[in-house]
Amino acid sequence: MDDPKPEEQPTRRRALMLGAASAAAIVSIRPALAQTSASVMHCEIPVTDPGRAGSYIAPDGRVVPARTAGAFPAPGRSFKAQDVKRALNGGTLPGTDPQASRAYTNYIRRLQRGTSGFTCFASLQMPRG
Amino acid sequence: MRHLTQLRIGPIGFRIGSHWRRPLAALDDLYRDYPAPHDGIADFNVHLFAARPWRRVLRPSVHIAGDFVIPDAAPLPLAQGLLAAEMGMNLQMALGLRRFLLLHASMVERNGRAVLMTGISGAGKSTLAALLMARGWRLMGDEFALIDCATGLAHAFPRLVSLKNEAVDVVAQALPGARFGPLLEGTPKGAIRHLVPDACAIAAMDVPAEPSLILFPRFGFEAAARPVLPSEAFVRLTQSSTNYVSLAERGFDALTRLVQSVPARAIDYPDAETAIAMVEALA
Amino acid sequence: MLYRAADPATLRVVPLDALTLVYHRASGITHIVDAPVPEILAILAEGPRNVAGLLGVLVERFDLADPDPAALAVRLDELVGAGLVERTCAI
Repeated sequence: MDDPKPEEQPTRRRALMLGAASAAAIVSIRPALAQTSASVMHCEIPVTDPGRAGSYIAPDGRVVPARTAGAFPAPGRSFKAQDVKRALNGGTLPGTDPQASRAYTNYIRRLQRGTSGFTCFASLQMPRG
Repeated sequence: MRHLTQLRIGPIGFRIGSHWRRPLAALDDLYRDYPAPHDGIADFNVHLFAARPWRRVLRPSVHIAGDFVIPDAAPLPLAQGLLAAEMGMNLQMALGLRRFLLLHASMVERNGRAVLMTGISGAGKSTLAALLMARGWRLMGDEFALIDCATGLAHAFPRLVSLKNEAVDVVAQALPGARFGPLLEGTPKGAIRHLVPDACAIAAMDVPAEPSLILFPRFGFEAAARPVLPSEAFVRLTQSSTNYVSLAERGFDALTRLVQSVPARAIDYPDAETAIAMVEALA
Repeated sequence: MLYRAADPATLRVVPLDALTLVYHRASGITHIVDAPVPEILAILAEGPRNVAGLLGVLVERFDLADPDPAALAVRLDELVGAGLVERTCAI
């Protein structure tokens, strides 16, 4: 493939703009996995995501209306990837009792695309979803 | 490792070792019509292992490793061993493939021309590919499209089609005679069932095709289609490629050539029937 | 303060429709760039310049809607950040 030849000067000058300081003119492609491995240790998974605040979480991880019997109030905070990984391997999420932790962990397992936190989870489970 | 099997999917041969016979028996059964690796030599190794000897038996938990690993990846229960094997193979492709530019896309072929449908998990690319197969298209793959950097041709990777949740029923209705794997419930992605590609897909797995259309499908919206300019297609495809960066200039050449020579469209669709009609009209 | 572009031999520049792709061989990084980046790179490839000098050439060759040195400095900072341009001190 040939690189383009240097532009011939048009008789009427082509319009050009330097652009606003806030708008970037360069986007660089970064390796996706390098991104995830750097951020895996720091990314957080909110339980639950802000759109469903006030809901409860059933033991199997489904989001249910508030005060459903047998369900646990959503902690309404984010957990660090480290803690989630430990919990997925049988530990307990910090600041929760073991049963609630099991429910929250199942919620995290059930995260579907489009719910915040999924990308972080996917980077824990498998490459790029 | 105690148990071993080998298989080839398109150009890529795998050797899979496991502490348990069960997942390999499932693979052998579903992939029974697939060939062995070229010259008996696998491109990648996958290992399904127990973290401790007693975990082979007590609450057996399958860890995934191989030539390429993601450290500390969460294990799967033995009941989902088939899924673990699939994830292991995906992992090798995603991290280790260098012979081809790898795009996260499903792909079908007709008359030597390939349609690529790209998108993240859940966008519907596997379901669309299966339904197009039911309508006579040759299935080239539901997850990975392989682009030869030298020729620009698309190569097939027709693994078992991974269908999730409601899509399983939709596809089973469209393909009454098809072979399916067991229903796997409670996986990280919900309920999953694998569909074995048809005889046509398996027989033609070594036949490349010329990419002729790139689609960016979105499920759950009113039907709409718009052209996608090469610059936008380029950026979106780099996001869907796991090895673009590691292929360096070869990858740059392959992808720029692809977006400059193949038209791209974004399509929105409310249901599978509409999607199929749109794809067939555009192709 | 002079700005010098990466050696043209290390850049593969492919203009697409709205944007231009720049593959930088030295780093292996692909940059997707908007105007005025390709134009700036082409001018700096002829030789290093300071902000005022570069602005002068841009005004001469193009119909520049916003000939503001501060705006140009921002673009140059971006280019330095991306590794496509380096700052050198005039001696």
